[in-house]
Amino acid sequence: MFKDRAIPDLAATTVSSAEGASPKPTPLEEEVVALFDQMQDRLLRYLFSTGVSVHDGEEIVQEVFLALFQHLQRGKSRRNLRAWVFQVAHNLSVKRYLAKRRDRQNLVEPGDAPAEDTFVDRAPNPEDQLASHQNHARLQSVFRALPEQDRRCLSLRAEGLTYREIGKVLDMSLGAVALSLGRSLARFARVEER
Amino acid sequence: MSSNNSHLSDQELLLAADGELPPARAEEVASHLAECWTCRVRKGEIEESIRDFVHAYRGNLDPLLPSPAGPRALLKAQIAEMASAPQGWRIRWSQFATLRYAGAALFLVFLGLLIYFRPAFQSRQGFHVVPVSFPEPSLTPGVTAGVNRDQICGSRPPKNRIVPASLQRRVFEEYGISGAEPRAYEVDYLITPALGGADDIRNLWPQSYSSAVWNARVKDALEDRLHDLVCDGRLDLGTAQRDISSDWIAAYKKYFETDRPLQ
Repeated sequence: MFKDRAIPDLAATTVSSAEGASPKPTPLEEEVVALFDQMQDRLLRYLFSTGVSVHDGEEIVQEVFLALFQHLQRGKSRRNLRAWVFQVAHNLSVKRYLAKRRDRQNLVEPGDAPAEDTFVDRAPNPEDQLASHQNHARLQSVFRALPEQDRRCLSLRAEGLTYREIGKVLDMSLGAVALSLGRSLARFARVEER
Repeated sequence: MSSNNSHLSDQELLLAADGELPPARAEEVASHLAECWTCRVRKGEIEESIRDFVHAYRGNLDPLLPSPAGPRALLKAQIAEMASAPQGWRIRWSQFATLRYAGAALFLVFLGLLIYFRPAFQSRQGFHVVPVSFPEPSLTPGVTAGVNRDQICGSRPPKNRIVPASLQRRVFEEYGISGAEPRAYEVDYLITPALGGADDIRNLWPQSYSSAVWNARVKDALEDRLHDLVCDGRLDLGTAQRDISSDWIAAYKKYFETDRPLQ
């Protein structure tokens, strides 16, 4: 399955201290950069898959790790930092999306294309990318047809998050996560059977 | 569920494949799969769907990923800047829960001792008093209001005004004694208004009453002396202002002709 166990248990990582201004990075700075190295690609893929542009994705990831640094610097909880990081990225992407939609609503006349469609269609998300590959064309249509929450669940699962972590990121129950993934895969299976 | 007559649902097959079943149920499912070809085939189909999706997902999104070097360097620079921010000491403190508890315990012990010994402590030197006998020239150079001798010595001479509490606090802060007991100090004019001094923070300083020798009461005596000398015509106003603002203790010695306060 695509559960990726290569990500270490981030909650178990330790921090000795955060030194003040110094040319040499503090242990905390080094730890956050190490986490960035481990998580950056996963976060970006998730963001791209939900319709975030490459430029916005890079900005969001920077914001996420600056927030992580502050979070750890303040001595806050180190439990399940992987889910924490994805949750912050998710929240920031939703925030940006809502802000962009507000801007568009202020600019366009009523009756124009819904912002939500534009959000999905403009993005370098899997369905657009899959179109370039003939073997993946059918998956593109299935993925496109999935409800947004199902697409997010699937992408987070593909990035190795457990059901519990997905539930935390998307604010869903474990049962709802399981149902969402099962529903999505059943659709893929039906298409493959044809 | 382990019976061959009832097959596992897709949902359960997925949960089993993802390792999300409780251990006891996972064992039952594994046992059922060992017996049931139908469910094993279905499980294989689900895994095939997952595999196809992951290949598509990674194969199409990975080319979009930027080179990590630039964003990494940017992040390092930004967190280094954040780490050097002034709040660092507070943050380090908050990271050490043990130290926090130890600090809290020490504080309580200190508080207890303070309450116990407070009467004796206060009677000797007041509460949190830092003796200040000399104004800091960079903070309190002395500022005049531009008045002349006639105004000072007229029928309604300028008097020392009560320094507002907010201004007193600012003076305490400037001198780094913001936690001081206000009654232990006279926020004093360096050049008193009776000698043409201005209501300006640069003309105010916290003079402690507790200074053993050169305290606020001694300076008050000097101010009265200088005012009398100016108004009697025996001393130029500018000289009086300059002398008291440059070194009031030297001025006291000079105008009282003594090396020690007379009081």
